[in-house]
Amino acid sequence: MSAAFTYAPLIVALPFLSFLIALAAGLADRDVLPKGGAIPGILATLGSLALSAWVALTVAGGAVFDETIYEWAVAAGVESQLELSFGLLLDPLSAMMLVIVCLVATLVHVFSLGYMNDEGETGLPRYYAGLGLFTASMLGFVVSDNLLQSFVFFELVGLCSYLLIGFHFREPGPPSAAKKAFLVTRFGDYFFLVGLVGIVATFGTAQFGGAESFPHVAELVLAGEASVRTFGFAPETWFTILGLLVLGGVIGKSAQFPLHTWLPDAMEGPTPVSALIHAATMVAAGVFLVARMYGFYAVSPTALAIVALVGGFTALFAATMGLVKRELKQVLAYSTISQYGYMMLALGTGGYVAATFHLLTHAFFKALLFLGAGSVIIAMHHNENMWDMGGLRKRMPVTYATFLVGSLALAGIVPFAGFWSKDEVLYEALIHGLGTEGSLGTVFLAAYAMGLLAVLFTGFYTFRMVALTFHGEPRTDLAADPESVGWNVKGPLSVLGLLAATTGFLNLAPVKKLTGAKVDFLHQWLEGPEGAALMATLSAKHYKHLLHDVNPAQVTASELGPLLPAALSLGLAITGALVAFRLYATPEPTEHTAKLGGLQDVLYNNYYQDEYQVWLATNVVQPLAGVADTVDQSLVDGVVNGVSSVSLSSGSRIRRIQTGVVSNYAALVTLGLTALLVAFGLYEGWLL
Amino acid sequence: MAVPVQWYLLLSAAMFCIGVFGVLTRRNALLFLMSVELMLNAANINLVAFARLWGNLTGQVFSLFTMALAAAEVAVGIGIILVLYRNFSDVDVTRATTMRW
Amino acid sequence: MIIEALIGVTFLAALVVLITPDEYAGKLAFGASLLPLAGSLYMWSAFDATGNALLGGSAARAFETQIRWLEVGGIELQWFVGVDGVSLPLVVLSTFLTSLAILSAWRPITDRQAQFYGLVLFMEANLLGVFTALDFFAWFVFWEAVLVPMYFLIGIWGGPRRKYAAIKFFVYTNVASLVMFIFFIQLVYNLDVATFGLPAITQAIHAGEVSGFLGLAPSTVKTLAFAALFLGFAVKVPVVPFHTWLPDAHVEAPTPVSVLLAGVLLKMGTYAMLRYNFTMLPDVAKQYAAVIAVFAVVSVIYGAMLALAQRDLKRIVAYSSVSSMGYVILGLVAYTTLGVGGATFQMVAHGLISGLMFMAVGVIYNETHTRMVGSMSGLADRMPVTVGILIAGAFGYMGLPLMAGFAAEFFIFQGAFASTVLARAPLFAAAAMFGIVIVAGYLLLAMQKTLFGPYELETDYEVTAAGPTETVPLAILLVSIVLLGVAPELFFDMITDAVDPILQVGGDV
Repeated sequence: MSAAFTYAPLIVALPFLSFLIALAAGLADRDVLPKGGAIPGILATLGSLALSAWVALTVAGGAVFDETIYEWAVAAGVESQLELSFGLLLDPLSAMMLVIVCLVATLVHVFSLGYMNDEGETGLPRYYAGLGLFTASMLGFVVSDNLLQSFVFFELVGLCSYLLIGFHFREPGPPSAAKKAFLVTRFGDYFFLVGLVGIVATFGTAQFGGAESFPHVAELVLAGEASVRTFGFAPETWFTILGLLVLGGVIGKSAQFPLHTWLPDAMEGPTPVSALIHAATMVAAGVFLVARMYGFYAVSPTALAIVALVGGFTALFAATMGLVKRELKQVLAYSTISQYGYMMLALGTGGYVAATFHLLTHAFFKALLFLGAGSVIIAMHHNENMWDMGGLRKRMPVTYATFLVGSLALAGIVPFAGFWSKDEVLYEALIHGLGTEGSLGTVFLAAYAMGLLAVLFTGFYTFRMVALTFHGEPRTDLAADPESVGWNVKGPLSVLGLLAATTGFLNLAPVKKLTGAKVDFLHQWLEGPEGAALMATLSAKHYKHLLHDVNPAQVTASELGPLLPAALSLGLAITGALVAFRLYATPEPTEHTAKLGGLQDVLYNNYYQDEYQVWLATNVVQPLAGVADTVDQSLVDGVVNGVSSVSLSSGSRIRRIQTGVVSNYAALVTLGLTALLVAFGLYEGWLL
Repeated sequence: MAVPVQWYLLLSAAMFCIGVFGVLTRRNALLFLMSVELMLNAANINLVAFARLWGNLTGQVFSLFTMALAAAEVAVGIGIILVLYRNFSDVDVTRATTMRW
Repeated sequence: MIIEALIGVTFLAALVVLITPDEYAGKLAFGASLLPLAGSLYMWSAFDATGNALLGGSAARAFETQIRWLEVGGIELQWFVGVDGVSLPLVVLSTFLTSLAILSAWRPITDRQAQFYGLVLFMEANLLGVFTALDFFAWFVFWEAVLVPMYFLIGIWGGPRRKYAAIKFFVYTNVASLVMFIFFIQLVYNLDVATFGLPAITQAIHAGEVSGFLGLAPSTVKTLAFAALFLGFAVKVPVVPFHTWLPDAHVEAPTPVSVLLAGVLLKMGTYAMLRYNFTMLPDVAKQYAAVIAVFAVVSVIYGAMLALAQRDLKRIVAYSSVSSMGYVILGLVAYTTLGVGGATFQMVAHGLISGLMFMAVGVIYNETHTRMVGSMSGLADRMPVTVGILIAGAFGYMGLPLMAGFAAEFFIFQGAFASTVLARAPLFAAAAMFGIVIVAGYLLLAMQKTLFGPYELETDYEVTAAGPTETVPLAILLVSIVLLGVAPELFFDMITDAVDPILQVGGDV
């Protein structure tokens, strides 16, 4: 075993330690730690980053690791031995994700110095404790080697999100948003839990990798080489049901339609938190989970179709809502939802590598955009309305330059990172749609069409945002004289700007197709090291095999060249961007939403998604609870009290016999005795 | 010749009925107490009569016990009657109904 | 002899505390309650039995004593105590929670302290008896004797409607016990045993020695006994629709009493169900598994819905207890290692978590003098530590992983889902699991309204952060909850040992 793997648990432990330190500081006195606890957090995430890089290098060197490190509970029963454990699964996918999470977390910690400390926020130990716990949970989730562990950390991540969104608990908005975020994701997690329990009950294990893992056993069962208890369903049906149940959690966490409503509200949290949690990492957890157990989805056409449709629809749907938002962070929130839709689209259409690639690039450019937005928000004294900005380009050159890089990446303009990954997502969807026979191919094409249309909108809302914020003339005094930001803001922005510009070159799949040069590094990376037994069930190659050979729909790629689709999506993105610039990059931009007519209200109100969910909560669930309460008070308790009052009242009637006159008692006694005698006499037969 | 046991039983039954009648109809606490005594003694007659019939002394011993008990009862009873009189200025048992419901 | 010592010392302590002057009573009671706590911790460390106390021989019972006492109607009564992997965790829970409850009573209980603490200790002694007694007669005496101090604790130190609540609690549970008692005696007299010892009775039933009675077939006799026992214990648990005494009792009871009521007393019901219904009469339980599971699921969902409608923090926690105890029933009826083991684990986990919740709500009440959701907001500003712990406890209630509640609920769900005894087990499990969404709903809603937002309070009390005697018990509870969540094997190992024999008797249906 490589030394890197020996120290790998520290990747999770270090941020947890920083959480404990910050917590202790918060309990003791707020001035115990310099910088309100930021320093331990930065050191811990840096340490984790270094270790993650080491792990990634080791994985690149051909070693992978999957071992149980803690037995949580053992049910040694009559049925069978069931072991529930925590472990580490370090393969190319998780190594890559570790680096992403650690890097973004480090930068966000540094950025927080500028956003929180320099702005004189109180309660900083609590903030850094939350960040530390969040980082630890997210890393624990990434290294999970089984679904139970994933669920555990999935939930802990949700807790941290709750705590950090509600950081400003003295105001009315954040606690409400925090509640909504936890509740909506909890609703999704319910299905995840049912799925998890079902998977453990079916396979007797929740391991992701190896010959005993549940995706692999499922594959064997479908091939007729093994059998499991499928609760009266055909194996294909049952596996699809389980996969879709787990998908419920994914839809909640990754903010996919219809459980996306929490994410825009979650922008109530501090901006670095939005960057870390609601863009780069936690929301990625859902997509990462699907990638992690991709072998389980790859064999089910129905599950793939639903993943693809949810993804494509969400990509389009969220993009349209982003078109009309006035707040900077709201636009970014809807773009996040939309981008995760792309990842789901890729996963659903068999583009495992494409999804991972987009996950990687999106983490960087979206973190960049959020931090850039944070920088603008500092400058604007926490006014987020884009219509109050304008002309910040000249006054904040660093922020502008990096934000522009991020926007170009988000819109998918060549050669920035987002172009390469989004192009691959769409390309994979298209070729699999064209190549796959039957209804699944049609579904893929439909999802592709939605994704393609969303590109246009993405270009539009991205550059509308850039234009309104940075171009034109300042529209308020604040924008004319923004507050300057320090190194701790510009530093992270520059690092991320660099990454957003360049990470695309990690995977130049179209170039490879055209020239044959082996520049699709991410493909090679996810194929995994040769010879590692673990990778037999976890590699991209294996997933391709599953999609094509095991999946009854036989997902196949057609031989379409990459140039035309790339040109199409690039053209759409540029069109959208140009239109936006024409409309809004003027000295005195005006709102053009009125031209949308009736659609305007629908978009402003987010298709009334919040409304119907709130309506369900307040007009269905709460009255139902009220009815239950009334029934309980009147009927159920009424019976109890009824029994008691019947006893009481009959008692008070019967006690009238108690006249207090001794003679009456004597008479009763005599009568009773006589009656008894007569009865006995009749019964025994000596009377009469 | 010994008197047949039926006569004793008849006597006892008659006394008992008189006692019962007294308890049911009298309102004076003293008469009430006397009626109770009558019933007790009716039972005693029974006991003695059967003891003699079967040649077994247990019944006689038992009737001695009963007499002792009756004496005690009278003591308590008279006590009650005194208290009754003190509280209600009367010994009418139907008037002392404060203990009802 | 350690069990006798434990019970005896606690009784003695109760007597001594009763005649202590009020000013020392609290401290003395706390000190005295540490003795049984230490004893139970020693028992935990020295525990060496494997197997189920009712099904196995002496090797299945640790710290066993069996002394013949007297004989009634051809049946022998004995002093027979011992613990196994099911009862020991509950013994530890009882001593642990009692100590903490006494500590948390120091501030709110200001009059008749000596009697208060004396009654609490008296109750603890009886609780220990309930969880250790293995002879029906002794067990029943302890079982009933628990009610008496509880009646006074609610009736004397309770809120405005304390008399109603105390009488309702006492009469309701007592009537249920009576029904249970009659039918159990009837069952014993239809067996060929000359003892009230529970192991002997259990083993005789399993050997098929039940005879008919009044023209009823043996199976009918067993079914009737099962129904009566279930009813008797269901009131205690409580299972919907026999739950209505619980919110009244909790709302009126003073905080430390609520802690013990929710934390330990409710577990008597499920413990007894496990011992009597599910261990002694597994064939009946398996035959009516679906009916019992319906009771369980209805308790979970309906209890949670009721909690959603409440405005009083204590009522919310009370109804959520109903909901959580529903999980226990579901786990028991699953007849799998994880199901029954998880149910037992849930008894401990819920004891700690609901104890924490009631205690935290009590601390808030001590400061604000209100428990109504609408009449305060933004408390996190004034009482950060208490509120922090309350939030942690609430997440524990919601089944946050790495806290005891999640471990228990996960085991139960897993066990119930895979049950072969229960028809359509996955559906029952999935329906019950929806409880975790509703519980999150009402707790988050209540927390948002009371703890967060701008600080406001309707009563005109000056709110300050709670003192150490109030926060320390909370912190200890929280640590123990996390500890059990991270390392459930601390108890789960011995629980599965004791639970497995139950699954092996009676056969499948």
